[in-house]
Amino acid sequence: MTDVARLHAEEQAPLEGVIKGEVLRMYQEVAEHPEGEFHFYHGRQAAELFGYEREWLDRAPPGAVASFAGVGNPHLRSQIRPGETVLDLGSGAGLDSIIAGWQAGPTGRVIGVDLNPTMCLKAQAHAATSGVRMVCHEGRMEDIPLPDGAVDVVISNGVINLSFRKRRVIQELFRVLKPGGRLSVTDIVSAKQLSQSIVNDPKLWAS
Amino acid sequence: MFVLLEDAGFKRVRSTIVPGFAFRKESTRDAAEAYGVKAVLFTAQKPAT
Repeated sequence: MTDVARLHAEEQAPLEGVIKGEVLRMYQEVAEHPEGEFHFYHGRQAAELFGYEREWLDRAPPGAVASFAGVGNPHLRSQIRPGETVLDLGSGAGLDSIIAGWQAGPTGRVIGVDLNPTMCLKAQAHAATSGVRMVCHEGRMEDIPLPDGAVDVVISNGVINLSFRKRRVIQELFRVLKPGGRLSVTDIVSAKQLSQSIVNDPKLWAS
Repeated sequence: MFVLLEDAGFKRVRSTIVPGFAFRKESTRDAAEAYGVKAVLFTAQKPAT
């Protein structure tokens, strides 16, 4: 790391910590009180908006559907095949993991990674009741707790935008994929540089 | 994100705007529109060799 990059990282560290806390609080709130009102659409309403199949939403545990907080539908292009290993980065309450697990079948498996250990437990419980082989690791997307070449497919839904170090996250996704592995990720991007007041507002990061 | 994927070594990087994405609250929606905020589906492949 260069001196400039190190200085920048040191300046950002306190804000990154605050934002991490706010993001954890927001998504915990969605999971525990999905009936609440948030900046974003969530739950079944959002999933239907993004083209999730009704059969998936009827079949998945209601808790996983109600807490869905994605920004699109990574399954439209994931092309998961039976027997494959799938990483769901930021697995939340587990809806995307469950759908991926159904596609991977009984010989495949899903690995979730989430910052929040409570959400990991919830996702694993939802997956178990859905007949999906899933293990969830508490971890940061900038340091994915998996060895090199561990997975065939990466899916993620509205998570990478929450990182200060997006380049690092993408490098990690490349590392954990097997050669020939695929990625299908939905996320938020902005066409213009956000103002510093927005960048420094933890509540907007979590919205 | 597109550039980050290519820089990391991914090939066949593709992006498609997610239709229907919007923030629920009007104030957030207005700010998002001003900054050109969109939801995008990205796909990419790690080279086989």
